[in-house]
Amino acid sequence: MGRPRAFDEDEVVRAAVGLFAGHAYDGVSIDDLVTRLGVHRNSLYKTFGSKRGLYLVALRRHLADDIRPLTDALAAAPDAAAVLRLVTSADLGLLLLAAVERAPVDEEVAAEVTAALGTVDQAIADALGIPAVLAAALTASALGILLRGNPDGVGAALTRRLDPLDSKEN
Amino acid sequence: MALVHIDGDDLVVVIEGLNKLWAFKSSLTIPLVNVRGATADPGIAADPKGIRAPGAHVPGVITAGTFHLDGEKIFWDVRDPAKAVVIELADEQYSRIVIQVDDPRATVALVENALR
Repeated sequence: MGRPRAFDEDEVVRAAVGLFAGHAYDGVSIDDLVTRLGVHRNSLYKTFGSKRGLYLVALRRHLADDIRPLTDALAAAPDAAAVLRLVTSADLGLLLLAAVERAPVDEEVAAEVTAALGTVDQAIADALGIPAVLAAALTASALGILLRGNPDGVGAALTRRLDPLDSKEN
Repeated sequence: MALVHIDGDDLVVVIEGLNKLWAFKSSLTIPLVNVRGATADPGIAADPKGIRAPGAHVPGVITAGTFHLDGEKIFWDVRDPAKAVVIELADEQYSRIVIQVDDPRATVALVENALR
């Protein structure tokens, strides 16, 4: 029998989301986790198995806490401009980092990222009544705008182009 | 130093050189279903090790053998903390093993890939 867990697992996972989103997977050591999350090293291994185990739990928490509300909001988006606004203002930090850092080397992470982006695409397709492939292109544009860090300028220009798309599709 | 390889459905850890004397083990064979994950963790060497029985512990020089900490049994074989890898186990005699390997990143990838 080990020592009972003396930490709030929920709180620790949420803090891990922030840590991995801020410093990337490779940038976070077990020492960082022990110090910043206030968890005993042995408890961390006992609970999550490994750093990757904790990362997967944190990624899934990010998807549940941050991506699901986005897809809910997207499902009610009235037009393409609203879709762009919602995606470019969402907190997608860990998802985007996971897509570039871990998905290429970890198929479980890749599956989570693909599924999450798929739900975003589907929500947009349903909300705007457009084909899935066009919704995926809209998601890709919005994520690109978000990554470029100029959501207002680039997003506004794209929105003007998207107005005719809305009227054509509707 | 330890060598880690996958043999069928087992993870095999071979303790090399004189360390097997201090560690009182020359190898460990663990079914992969009992392996929960692997992590490169240089900082673990600075943590309390617990009570050793049997084994050798000269702080800063070698930690090898079986240690008991918080009711858990942990196997150690580490001289150079920078190359320490922690392998977490379930339903095994040891709760976790902490070993020194030549390439921690490659060892972690080997173990984690074998678990998927």
